[in-house]
Formats: sequence, structure tokens, C-alpha cells
Amino acid sequence: MKYNLTSRDRLIWPALLFVVIVWVGCVSESDEPKLSLYRFEKPSHFPEPTYTFQNNDVNEKGFKLGKMLFFDPSLSRDGSVSCSSCHVQSHAFADTWLHPFSFGVEDREGVRNSPPLFNLAFQNEFFWDGGVTHLDFAPILAIESEIEMDESFENLVHKLNNHAQYPRLFKEAFGVEEVTGPYVLHAFSQFMLLMVSADSRYDQFVKGDQNALNQEEIEGLLLFRKHCESCHREPLFTDLSYRNNGVQKVITDLGRETITEVSQDRAKFKVPSLRNIEVTSPYMHNARFEGLLQVLNHYTEGIQEQVNIDPLVFEDGKPTIKLSDPEKEKIIAFLKSLTDDNFLNNPIFFNSNE
Amino acid sequence: MKNIKSKLAISIVFLFSSLFFSCQENENPNSISQGEMIVEFDNYVGNQNMVIDEVGSTNYRYSTANGQEFNLTRFGYYISHVRLEGPNGEVFIDEMNASADANQIKGYYRVVQGESDTYNIHLKNIPEGQYNKIIFNLGVKEDGIQEGAVGGILDRAAGAWFWNWNSGFINYIIEGHSPASLRDENRLQIHIGGWKNIPSADENPQRFFDNNVEVSLPFDATVRVSETMRPSPHIIMDLLKVIGDTDLAIQNNIHSPAAAVPFVQKLAEAFVVDHTHQ
Ligand code: HEC
Ligand code: HEC
Repeated sequence: MKYNLTSRDRLIWPALLFVVIVWVGCVSESDEPKLSLYRFEKPSHFPEPTYTFQNNDVNEKGFKLGKMLFFDPSLSRDGSVSCSSCHVQSHAFADTWLHPFSFGVEDREGVRNSPPLFNLAFQNEFFWDGGVTHLDFAPILAIESEIEMDESFENLVHKLNNHAQYPRLFKEAFGVEEVTGPYVLHAFSQFMLLMVSADSRYDQFVKGDQNALNQEEIEGLLLFRKHCESCHREPLFTDLSYRNNGVQKVITDLGRETITEVSQDRAKFKVPSLRNIEVTSPYMHNARFEGLLQVLNHYTEGIQEQVNIDPLVFEDGKPTIKLSDPEKEKIIAFLKSLTDDNFLNNPIFFNSNE
Repeated sequence: MKNIKSKLAISIVFLFSSLFFSCQENENPNSISQGEMIVEFDNYVGNQNMVIDEVGSTNYRYSTANGQEFNLTRFGYYISHVRLEGPNGEVFIDEMNASADANQIKGYYRVVQGESDTYNIHLKNIPEGQYNKIIFNLGVKEDGIQEGAVGGILDRAAGAWFWNWNSGFINYIIEGHSPASLRDENRLQIHIGGWKNIPSADENPQRFFDNNVEVSLPFDATVRVSETMRPSPHIIMDLLKVIGDTDLAIQNNIHSPAAAVPFVQKLAEAFVVDHTHQ
């Protein structure tokens, strides 16, 4: 100790200490300083998140535990399927085109295409029909779905409690002696909440970098704003509503009607984000299209009269969106500028289970 | 230097002890004294005591008004937002808290037939005074759902009655068998849930149904709560008031908010305060 304390210092020291002690003593654990890498940050041009962070703030231990669960096939009934089987990072956590309907245990075929996972903190309803009203509840549906992991959530929590490592990791992340349902769900959410995609060339462009998009892409953006924006609204590229854009030739999936129980919602599905669309083929809830040109051809020529068809895409017996071939090319060029390579290659999401 | 260190040490000790007090919850020294109440729920089917049978049982103990027999393999309901009112403006509002930590859950209760420790709801911190009415919500409202994953009796992994495909709790659950039901194993399942209301706008019908029901029951007499007096109202619930007129040949598989609405309208009627032990 080489300090030469003046009397003023002597007063300051205890005062400072007091502040620090009160802070450490009274502040709850979740407010501990965190590595910013594992902290949720709202991109400056995004709306406020809707997730209940006050009940489950993201931290490194919870995130890593969530990741371990996400990549762990032993969670499924027969040990063959993990979340990551259908949600693959290089495809923006959508499924690969090899599995348009996402195969679950025993290769049972699902009925809907698995959506990409990102910007979940900004959504208020999940799944194509919006039946899940909080991100925390999404994994229960995946786990218990017969065509996905086909395991009861109760049994899964039981398995985790008897596991060699999980009980210790839950204790470290949440301070609990026993693994219970809500903490499993909180861990999954922590992992998924950090899947924020807001760093594509489009984002750089709207944040002021005029050179981030080339001329063709800028023209594509203007066409997009004219024809697509009313549903695929920036910056999330969805207005979070449910609509029928006519992708079912014959309606076999009732979509939103299953949840709201009114026929006015038949065949309506959540408007999907178009971020990272380049890597999430096939497209639509029923995986009808493999390429983006097919999607645009659907909007300009393919849509037919159908119950609840959205007037923004079909009116007076014909499709409303009219685009020339060069215009379609421009929109596609623009859509590809929504690919967020930093997100697709972000190492924090890499599988680190041995 | 030594001197400074020891002064520092003393101030640390002092600060720690003052901190100890500063972190304590502030007890209000003027607060009026408080008491407790135990609300007892007793489930009946008509005038018979309710008994739970094994899944698969063909022992049909009960029958509806039009003579359709049935038994019960699972029965129960959630209760929340309990409130007491008194003749002189006394009001007690049970504290509510939804949390992942089962020990922090407050104000949510679940009566499960066959588990006798769930029949009594223990209300605490009731301001001393007279009370003659209990009001509670039958079910779990939005505040128990939209906070995200919660523990204890609301933890799906611990047997909570939770719909995974249309997030929300089953407020009131009836399961059993009836020869009138032609489903596999004569199954009877009436799951009453739903917590959202999107009222009809323009030509669109209502979407979702909030099937939470407020039940308001006068006591048979005014009771007094104090530090020494812990009254115990005894509530009787009669399932036949809910499904007594139901045709179990048709209505035996209810799993959605809209389908449950006809039952919901009868739920409040099923409860009555039979008597109150002072
Ligand atoms: C067998 C493939 C499969 C597996 C395994 C799987 N999912 Fe999914 N996931 C899907 C499909 C398909 C959907 C869309 C289903 C629907 O809308 O009906 C989906 C939807 C979701 C959604 C909603 C996304 C949105 O934008 O609405 C989330 C979140 C999610 N899954 C997370 C998970 C988690 C966490 C796991 C592991 C516990 C998991 N999934 C396992 C296929 C799968
Ligand atoms: C009426 C609202 C509406 C308009 C306008 C609209 N879309 Fe869509 N779009 C939807 C809906 C709803 C879906 C999902 C449909 C489904 O899967 O059932 C969708 C799906 C898509 C998909 C597939 C996304 C995926 O992840 O599978 C692409 C690509 C797409 N739209 C591009 C466009 C483009 C480009 C335009 C403008 C030319 C456009 N949309 C205009 C509502 C709209």
C-alpha cells in the first residue's frame, strides 16, 4: 500500500465501499455484469422487443445451457432428433430443402415446413398459425409433437434430472437444486433470443451506408416497398398478421382457423419474415416452392380465387401484383441482400456438445 | 497506515450491519393486525360425493338428468384472484405472482379431486375485520400465461393442465367414461379453457373466448377474521350443474375455447357457500 490517504480520501473510501456493498447486496443476481457477447441488444432500427426479459434475462450460462439442449438428440423419445435436426444455422435455423416437411422421429413426415428462427424476441405469436403466445412455450409443442420429438415434456424434465451433467448446469445457470419445466423453457428461450438477424446489407443501407446496395438492389427495394411492404413490413419484414396468399391449391390446412375457430380465418397463415430468404428454401408453410422466381410467379399469375384470399394479392378475379420479368429479377436481387452472413456464421451458436 | 486499515475495517463492519437492515423489507409498524382464512372446496355430483375412478373403469357411479351414466377419472379446476369483501367496506385482495420459481408463485390454486391436500385454500395476511363475501376467478387469466414459463401448479412438466397448441391453461377439467360416448373406451373429455377475447369488429365474429369465470359467493353469515379467529367457509361445487343437461353422446370431446362456451355459462352456478365455520 503506497497510497497517501488525505482525510478527504478517508471519507470517500468508506462511502464508495458503501455504495458498492449496497449494490452487491441488494441488487438481484440477474443484474450481474455480463459479457456483452451473451447479452440481448435491440438493433437500433428495430421496434422494442416483446419478450418478458424481466422474468428471464439472457446470460452466458443460461444461453450455453439452452444451446446444449437445442443440440441434444437424447431429448427426443428415441434419441434420434434434436431441435437442430430441423433448425439448421446455415439455413437461418430453418430446415434444409432435403426435408420440406421436417422429419421427426421414425421419419414421420410433418405437415408444415419448419420456419427459420430469428428475431423471435420481437414476435408475439409463434408457429404458422400463431397458436403459441409466448416464446417460452414453443419448445413444449416441438417436444410433444408426435411428428417432431414425440416425448412428453414431463418425461424430458425427468430425464434431465437424472442426467450426469444437466442438474449441475441448471444449478449454475438458475440457482436451482432441481430441474423443473420453467427453467428448461427459459434456457431454450435464452438460446433462441440471441438469434437476432439485423446485419444484412439491407440493414447497413437503411442505417446510412449508401453503398451497401447496388443500383439493381435499390430498384428492387423500391419495387418491394410498392408491392410487398403492406404485409412483409420492414424492418422485421412481417406485419405479424395472418393472411391467405393463396398457396394451397386445395385447402387442407385450416391455418389460423384452428386457433381462432372462425371460418373467416381459414387458410390464413402468419406472414413470414423474408430476412435470410435466400437460404430458407423451400418456401411457404406447405413448402410449395423451391425458388424465389416461382414465388413471384405465384404472386403475379398463380393465385386463384379462394376463400379469404387477401385482397392485396387477388381482387376482381385476378392477381393484383403486376411485375415484368426484369422487375422480378430486381426484387429477387433485393431479397438476397437480406442475407445476414454474420448471423448465419456466428460462432456463438455453433454446436459445442462433444 | 495500520490506523487507517482498522478504521476501514470498522467502517466495513458498520456498513455491513447497516446494510443488513437496509435490505430488509420495510415492516409497517402501524399496520393493523392480520388473520387468516381457510376456504374449503368440496366437490359433488348431484348429491353424491365425488369419487375418482381408475382410467378404464366401467363402474358408472353417476348419471345425467336424462339418465346417461358416467364416471370420473380426472376432475379439478384452477382458482386465482381471490378477494374477500365485508359489510363495512373491508376488502382483501390475495396477492398474485406468476414465477418460474415454484416457491414464489402466489395467488394461484388448483383443486384436484382425489388429492385432499388441494381442497383447502389457505388465505393469509387478511386485515382484521368482518367479511361476508368471497369472489374468485375460476381459471388462469392472461397474467398467469403471458409472463412466460411458470412453475409449481402451473408447470406443464409437473402436471399442469396446459394446452401446448393454443397456449393457455385448462381452467376446469372433466375426464371419465360414459357408455353414452361412442369414442374409444367410451371416453369423456371436457376441457374448459381459453383466456383471450378479441371482440367482433365490423362483419367479423368474435375470435377467441375468455373462459375465465368470476364466481361471487355470499357467506351464509358474516364472519370475523382476527389474529385469533380463523374462519373457514365451506364451498360446495356440484358438477351436475355444469354437465347435468349435456348429451354425452354428442358433447364428449371438448378441447377448445369456442366449444367450451356453453359449459362456461353454467360454471358460476355450480358453486355455493354451504356454511361457514367461525
Ligand atoms: C421434426 C422437425 C422439428 C424439430 C425436431 C423441432 N422443430 Fe421447431 N418447428 C418445426 C416446424 C415444422 C415448425 C412450424 C410448425 C407449425 O407452425 O405448425 C416449428 C416451429 C418452431 C418455432 C416457432 C417459430 C416461429 O417463427 O413461429 C420455434 C420457436 C421452434 N420451432 C423451436 C424449436 C425447438 C426449441 C425445438 C427443440 C426442442 C424444435 N423447434 C424442434 C420443426 C421442428
Ligand atoms: C397479402 C399479404 C402479402 C403480400 C402483399 C405479399 N406476401 Fe409474401 N407472404 C404472405 C404470406 C401470408 C405468406 C405465407 C403463406 C403461407 O405459407 O401460407 C407469404 C410468403 C412469402 C414467401 C415465402 C416465405 C417463407 O419463408 O416461406 C416469400 C418469399 C414471399 N412471401 C415474398 C413476397 C414478395 C416478394 C411479395 C411482393 C411481390 C409478397 N410476398 C407480397 C403475405 C403476403
